[in-house]
Amino acid sequence: MLEGAELYFNVDHGYLEGLARGCKASLLTQQDYINLVQCETLEDLKIHLQTTDYGNFLANQTNPLTVSKIDTEMRKKLCREFDYFRNHSLEPLSTFFTYITCSYMIDNVILLMNGALQKKSVKEILVKCHPLGRFTEMEAVNIAETSSDLFNAILVETPLAPFFHDCMSENTLDELNIELLRNKLYKSYLEAFYKFCKNHGDVTAEVMCPILEFEADRRAFIITLNSFGTELSKEDRESLYPTFGKLYPEGLRLLAQAEDFDQMKRVADHYGEYKPLFEAVGDNGGKTLEDVFYEHEVKMNVLSFNRQFHHGVFYAYIKLKEQEMRNIVWIAECISQRHRTKINSYIPII
Amino acid sequence: MTVTEMSCVGRNFYIHGPSITKLNQNVNSFQRKFVGEVKRCEELERILVYLVQEINRAAIPLPECEASPPAPPLKQVLEMQEQLQKLEVELREVTKNKEKLKKNLLELIEYTHMLRVTKTFVKRNVEFEPTYEEFPSLENDCLLDYSCMQRLGAKLGFVSGLINQGKVQAFEKMLWRACKGYTILSYAELDEALEDPETGEVIKWYVFLISFWGEQIGHKVKKICDCYHCHVYPYPNTAEERREIQEGLNTRIQDLYTVLHKTEDYLRQVLCKAAESVYNRVVQVKKMKAIYHMLNMCSFDVTNKCLIAEVWCPEVDLHDLRRALEEGSRESGATIPSFMNTIPTKETPPTLIRTNKFTEGFQNIVDAYGVGSYREVNPALFSIITFPFLFAVMFGDFGHGFMMFLFALLLVLNENHPRLNQSQEIMGMFFNGRYILLLMGLFSVYTGLIYNECFSKSVNLFGSGWNVSAMYSSSHTPQEQKKMVLWNDSVVRHSRVLQLDPSVPGVFQGPYPLGIDPIWNLATNRLTFLNSFKMKMSVILGIIHMTFGVVLGIFNHLHFRKKFNIYLVSIPQLLFMLCTFGYLIFMIIYKWLVFSAETSRVAPSILIEFINMFLFPPSEMYVLYTGQEHVQIVLLVITALSVPVLFLGKPLFLLWLHNGRSCFGVSRSGYTLVRKDSEEEVSLLGNQDIEEGNNQMEDGCREMTCEEFNFGEIMMTQVIHSIEYCLGCISNTASYLRLWALSLAHAQLSDVLWAMLMRVPLRMDTTYGILLLFPLITLFAVLTIFILLIMEGLSAFLHAIRLHWVEFQNKFYVGAGTKFVPFSFSLLSSKFNSNDNVA
Repeated sequence: MLEGAELYFNVDHGYLEGLARGCKASLLTQQDYINLVQCETLEDLKIHLQTTDYGNFLANQTNPLTVSKIDTEMRKKLCREFDYFRNHSLEPLSTFFTYITCSYMIDNVILLMNGALQKKSVKEILVKCHPLGRFTEMEAVNIAETSSDLFNAILVETPLAPFFHDCMSENTLDELNIELLRNKLYKSYLEAFYKFCKNHGDVTAEVMCPILEFEADRRAFIITLNSFGTELSKEDRESLYPTFGKLYPEGLRLLAQAEDFDQMKRVADHYGEYKPLFEAVGDNGGKTLEDVFYEHEVKMNVLSFNRQFHHGVFYAYIKLKEQEMRNIVWIAECISQRHRTKINSYIPII
Repeated sequence: MTVTEMSCVGRNFYIHGPSITKLNQNVNSFQRKFVGEVKRCEELERILVYLVQEINRAAIPLPECEASPPAPPLKQVLEMQEQLQKLEVELREVTKNKEKLKKNLLELIEYTHMLRVTKTFVKRNVEFEPTYEEFPSLENDCLLDYSCMQRLGAKLGFVSGLINQGKVQAFEKMLWRACKGYTILSYAELDEALEDPETGEVIKWYVFLISFWGEQIGHKVKKICDCYHCHVYPYPNTAEERREIQEGLNTRIQDLYTVLHKTEDYLRQVLCKAAESVYNRVVQVKKMKAIYHMLNMCSFDVTNKCLIAEVWCPEVDLHDLRRALEEGSRESGATIPSFMNTIPTKETPPTLIRTNKFTEGFQNIVDAYGVGSYREVNPALFSIITFPFLFAVMFGDFGHGFMMFLFALLLVLNENHPRLNQSQEIMGMFFNGRYILLLMGLFSVYTGLIYNECFSKSVNLFGSGWNVSAMYSSSHTPQEQKKMVLWNDSVVRHSRVLQLDPSVPGVFQGPYPLGIDPIWNLATNRLTFLNSFKMKMSVILGIIHMTFGVVLGIFNHLHFRKKFNIYLVSIPQLLFMLCTFGYLIFMIIYKWLVFSAETSRVAPSILIEFINMFLFPPSEMYVLYTGQEHVQIVLLVITALSVPVLFLGKPLFLLWLHNGRSCFGVSRSGYTLVRKDSEEEVSLLGNQDIEEGNNQMEDGCREMTCEEFNFGEIMMTQVIHSIEYCLGCISNTASYLRLWALSLAHAQLSDVLWAMLMRVPLRMDTTYGILLLFPLITLFAVLTIFILLIMEGLSAFLHAIRLHWVEFQNKFYVGAGTKFVPFSFSLLSSKFNSNDNVA
């Protein structure tokens, strides 16, 4: 990157950055959430959302309204915004956008393969796929039987191809293998994205690297947590950890040896950043580890808007919007299932 | 009850709208009372949008009626809802059928195309019989595969269909990669583009035929076809079968066409019927929704089961409002009529200034600066004259002004023309300001006459007051000749510039009856003369304008019952202004009147005199009139005295008022309190609180003390305002010199235009001159319009606005009010029209 890239940033990306900041300003406020929580039915929710920036995005939905309809419409809206960003972007921002979509693509591929494993029809699964990670080849995913098959026949021309380098195997894809594949793909994806941001330098690196490091560490924790009580060997587990982040390398080695939650917590205690997070996790009525991580992520993403002239705002906006959608879906689920006691455990975006 | 309310609201807002204050802003949008009705309206709107969309797609014209229908009563709404819902269901069914038919038809057509095109493939396949020999490398590489192929060769399978043009490449690649070359893909472009029934896009398609061996690969191929959204059709194995299918298809296509036509006819009928009433319904629903939104702002009285709306309404319209309410309740047949009470309030009402088409433009100029507080002096009234006048001072040209006047007159005379009414952008701006333009044009004609300028030339209407021949020595007696410098032939012949001397009898025969003498147009020192005149004129106009502003401030203080402001602010301001700059005007006019051509050599410079006023020079320097020294000292003393009054008067007075009042208040209320309650309470309550709690008073100055009294703050604001005013007097006066500068610029620019364009052909000899004159006149006209009229006019307009906003209005106008925005259906309808066009 050139010295003083701030001077040139606006020439190429200024419009989009402004747009992203404007979009961020339209995220639901605390007051909106308070109002949403008070809704009695989904219709009420719809009416309230109409007064926010969502506008009448549900206007053409026929009754009755369901949570999944709201979810799809919200996703569509996000997708429209993202496509607009992407269509107006220049290099290197467009590559950055491609990296953003990659994680959704990985999820979609895995979802489809799992579906194929359970002999569900492609159409049924396609509806569940995230529209941001949609690509033409993905519907053919289920013709592959091994992961090298998958790579050679289908994904070789997609942006996912470079992430396949260390997960080529001739094993047939059963459930465990798919899960391993997902984690390996994710690992190399995160590493590639991290490298991209690092090479980009400037504010983008300063903003994005901590976010991605956190993402990597979170994955490491989650993988560890999920591998308790499975037949995954410790060496295999270690091979799934992304090789960067705050935990890398000592923390990861310790994590690989962990056998239960308490040991994991002890590893986290060595790190000033994660100690308070693990302390916030409570067993009864408290927050789950997942929620704590989400909260931390939201905080980091919001902070990234404090810097200017970098690509991180786009990543942060997409992530924040996603969190907001999760919140709305959560609230909507609580409303529709009349399960109001937990309605307040959404993650506020401040 | 609802019915009553609704028709009442509908009726009374129909006549004129009071604006409702939002009562339940703190209540969520879905917790308000009429949320169900609003929802119903939204549902209706959704159906109507769908209808309009369908109607537009069928290209049926939407009739628009001129008269907008009133909002329907509840019963009619339910009827309408039922009708619309039925219509929607029917329509959806029919369109669904239609689409299904279309899709079927498309499939059949595709199938026939495919059969036709693939026939050529097969022929080719037959010609090159052993197709798999096209891959010799594969055969050599692995024998096993080869034998496999041999074995499977018997089970040669075909998949054929159509694929989107853009996807062919990727499709082929994927096929090759996934099936490792065990397939042969042949494809050809379809010469006919087909319409996609879902999106309505016209897309080019490719017909393809995949030949493959083996079951396994067949599955893969099918999956890949699915992935690329290919339209796959069964491939006939024999020529006979093919022919049969083709024939069958042809008859089915025929059938489908007839069915489709019938469906479309029916659909059209339904839509035509719907189109008749759709406009009315859209308007009705919009109105209904607006009414319910209004009603949602009302508070609901649970005990009496009625709605209470608090509204601002102009006093003059109270009677109309009452009548509208009565009519509304009668019409809805409610048992309890709606009624109205006036509520006394301390809140400041919004400002309503009724305008007509003439005053509207001027009011808009003022409102752009700030909407006046309730009952504040409205500068728009005075702007009607001062604005065009100040503009004209800068734009003074008889010809240009007249052109502007004609243009504006054209707009005014045709103001009912629909195309002008709806004009947008620049034309719309001109149209809305047509009366301002008219007056600006008229005043420019007047100032043009005063400046005696018409397209930079002077007009000699009454004959000049100067007589050149009187300068010749022959026309005077010898005694006179000795006293004066006169001309003779040799002088005239040998000097380049000669000056007329007005002191010579007969040379200056008295002033020109109107404006500047046309002879100045010939003079070389014309600019010097005009500059002196225009500069003095701008200063005089400016000071009068500003003084007027200060005087208007007095009316404001009178109305808001702040008499002390008059004595402590307005009068010192006036004195400050008049004793310095007012005196300057006096000197200018005095000098004009007293000094004549004979005495002009001893006339003092006004500028020096004015500066000397502050420097106290020795007494022999005062030459304007006797006693000048004393007068000036008195004026200076008054000026100097008014400054501290301006700075300290108001804050000190308020402090005095506050202290006096609170001392008094404490003694009195303290006395009563002691009797009622314990003494501690008195000491607990601050003086302030007691005073605030007890006397909500009668006379005007009280409002100040009711608020938290903060001497420092009042002092600061007053000091800032005073400094601003005192400095402003100087800088604003200087600012009015823009009148001179712009009128000079305008005159010079038009002069340059004339000299550069028109003088050229006029100086040539006749034949060439005439030939050149035609194009140059056109150019002259175009440049005159664009540069002198539009560009210069715009700049003069902006400066006139500035003079009003900054120099004039800051003397008295606060402009901190809120505009009275009544609820009105007319706003709504206009919105609908634009929406409808988009839909």
